[in-house]
Amino acid sequence: MNYPFWDFPHLGSGWVIGLIAIIHVMISHFAIGGGFYLVMAEMKARRENRQDWLRVLQGHSKFFLILTGVFGAGTGVGIWFAIGLAHPEATSTLIHNFVFAWAIEWIVFMVELTTAAVYYYTWNRIPDRLHIQVGWVYAIFSFFTLFIINGILTFMLTPGQPWLDAAGTGTEPHRFVQALFNPLFWPSLVLRSLACVSLAGVWALVTCARIDAGKSPETKTALLRWSGLWVMPSFALLPFAFAWYLWNVPEVHRALMYLGVSTVGSGVFSQLTRTLLIIPLSSASIVAIVYLFAWRSPVDLKLRHAVSVILLALIATGATEYGREMLRKPYVIGQYMFSNGVRVQAVSALNTNGYLGGSLWTRAVSSNAAPAELALAKGEAMFRGQCASCHTRDAYRSMKRLIGERNREGIASIIKMLHDYEKDSPYRKYMPPLVGRPDEIEALVDYLASLNQKPAESPAPAAPR
Amino acid sequence: MKQFYHSIYSWVDERLGLGEMIALAKHKTVPWHAQSFWYYWGGLSLLFFLVQAFTGVLLLVYYRPGPEAYESVRQITYDTNFGWLIRSLHSWGANLMVAAVGIHMFSVFFMKAYRNPREFGWWSGLGLMGLAMVFGFSGYLLPMDELAFFATKVGLDIPSQFPVLGPKIAALVRGGLEVNEYTVQRFFALHVVVLPALFLPLLGFHLFLVQKHGNAVPPSEELKPAAERRSIPFFPNFMMKDLAVWLIAINLLALVAALFPWELGPQADPLKPAPLGIHPEWYFMSQFQVLKVLGDWIPGTAGEFVGMGLFTVALIAWLLVPLYDTATAGGRRARNATYFGLLFLLAIIVTTIWGYLAL
Repeated sequence: MNYPFWDFPHLGSGWVIGLIAIIHVMISHFAIGGGFYLVMAEMKARRENRQDWLRVLQGHSKFFLILTGVFGAGTGVGIWFAIGLAHPEATSTLIHNFVFAWAIEWIVFMVELTTAAVYYYTWNRIPDRLHIQVGWVYAIFSFFTLFIINGILTFMLTPGQPWLDAAGTGTEPHRFVQALFNPLFWPSLVLRSLACVSLAGVWALVTCARIDAGKSPETKTALLRWSGLWVMPSFALLPFAFAWYLWNVPEVHRALMYLGVSTVGSGVFSQLTRTLLIIPLSSASIVAIVYLFAWRSPVDLKLRHAVSVILLALIATGATEYGREMLRKPYVIGQYMFSNGVRVQAVSALNTNGYLGGSLWTRAVSSNAAPAELALAKGEAMFRGQCASCHTRDAYRSMKRLIGERNREGIASIIKMLHDYEKDSPYRKYMPPLVGRPDEIEALVDYLASLNQKPAESPAPAAPR
Repeated sequence: MKQFYHSIYSWVDERLGLGEMIALAKHKTVPWHAQSFWYYWGGLSLLFFLVQAFTGVLLLVYYRPGPEAYESVRQITYDTNFGWLIRSLHSWGANLMVAAVGIHMFSVFFMKAYRNPREFGWWSGLGLMGLAMVFGFSGYLLPMDELAFFATKVGLDIPSQFPVLGPKIAALVRGGLEVNEYTVQRFFALHVVVLPALFLPLLGFHLFLVQKHGNAVPPSEELKPAAERRSIPFFPNFMMKDLAVWLIAINLLALVAALFPWELGPQADPLKPAPLGIHPEWYFMSQFQVLKVLGDWIPGTAGEFVGMGLFTVALIAWLLVPLYDTATAGGRRARNATYFGLLFLLAIIVTTIWGYLAL
């Protein structure tokens, strides 16, 4: 452990990132797609002299500014705080490689946020043509925020061979372009762009639902149908983009998708399969509801219907992002760094020299502690450093539940499998190797056994009379 | 192409009278007011029943009642492709169906939709509710894991306490003196043949009555002059809203089934004592807790008698509400019925929560 470990009870630090990030994706993709939506809707409205549309769009741009500028920006920064605390090791690697990318990102974010505010506040105050130009500047720069971050996110799953060849040599930043434009970059960009277009339409439903159908039925009908055009075709294209994305995911990661097909047994990594099943259903439901209401019966669309579509979109988004994260197991940076921060290249050294010996951050134990307490503290440090990035003790992916009824012998045999990391080990697909010297491994076994308070060994059978 | 479809439609219409059905559907209207949200719950109950029927048939393909029950469920959950999904949908669907039926029943009660001419709708609905709970009880045993076995054993021990008839009834239900493989086969026959044979005609009758009488309007809406009352066509307006609600319900079911799949406990061992804190599913917890508390206050069979007596009286009163609170009965009876309903609902909620806290 080169950094202090953030032991977030019950939920696990990973889910702190997850909860913030899922909300951020919902809003940020709207920030991108919605920018194009606003400017293109404004152009259409001005071309056709639809003053009713312009009034609604002005209100929509206010909603847009508050949602994206406050909650979008807030959750974006929140991700930074969360990843720095939850996984400083991986964050450090990303920063060292992509500081240039984040510098570009900082500039495009500044332009994005500024133009969003200017777009809203200069409505009807500057010439129409200039206002539309501001809108386009916003849309293009917001797209570039996606362009950059998409490279970093996809790098985490597929860093690409050029970068992997340089990994550990100190020359990794020289491969900045290859790392950014890694094998998944373009499929992911297309996938996310389609999601942005869809979410633009989905969020627009919220504004359009609030149009009083009694006073302006034509406006509500026209705008809802136009918003529906943003949702339905892009959803129809999403499966193809998804297939392209999966085609470029390495086979060893793709194989994780099938683990939950035939079983949901404890200890089998079935959550990716289960999560992926949710995506087509929630997505198809969104299309169905948008078609049935926004397209076929727009005057009946109320705010509660729009909110239910938002919730379905949240489910689809959450499932997709969670699936993307799980697809990367057992790595946090593919083929380079395991989920617990251990680098692939460091495994044999850590096995020889020990894991805790090199750890800068472990909890202090009193110098006159009893050997048993010392062993447990050592075991707990091993748990925190190598296990707790993914497993909580007693709640999310609970260690207690996974240990089950096993006694110390049973636990020791699983730990040995994780340490030996044989090629045919079933755990190899989604678990990192357990590193450390034999005494550290034994200490971990003691600690895990203490979680369930099972006896040390099976009692010897009674001697026959 | 259009002409081709038109000619097919005409051919079928001539023989089946589709045009008449569509004309009827187009004429049907649904009252539209602040309480219209509650009209969806009957449809949701039907949706969850259809899910149960569909997933049940799929499970039927792999389930083996009798001595291999546990092993067959183990294979479904841990060996068969997407067996875990079908089983989870079925188990979660059962809970959601009982919840939907319960909400439907209480919303009908508080909207006073049991009044003339809908009394038979109320009675058939209560029959369906009762059958749904027996579906739940009989289905719960089928995996024959520890939880299923002991929950059923404890559940059947209650009627067996009654003098003279009790042990005979319990033995008839169990297929013997103990819950064993014969009980599983008996419950399987009940769950898959007998209960559907009773449920389906009753459901058909219930739906016929809904079509015949239409949706009831709550008393507050009845007070409005006819000109102020709004309604929407059933087809396509209400049907589309209904479909959208069904979609949301399906998503909810899929979400819980995927995120919280139903696992299988250890195989039942009749020689072991019941696990600590053994309890039935949530829809029986109220009765379970009432019997437990009355058993503590009034020891022996007397406690059971009082408990069962209380349930019987409450059930009869619940059944007879349409004859008490009639459309012309007047304000006092209407108010009493509402208070009775609120008391009933509160009692169920409180005793259910109490039951869980007391575990």
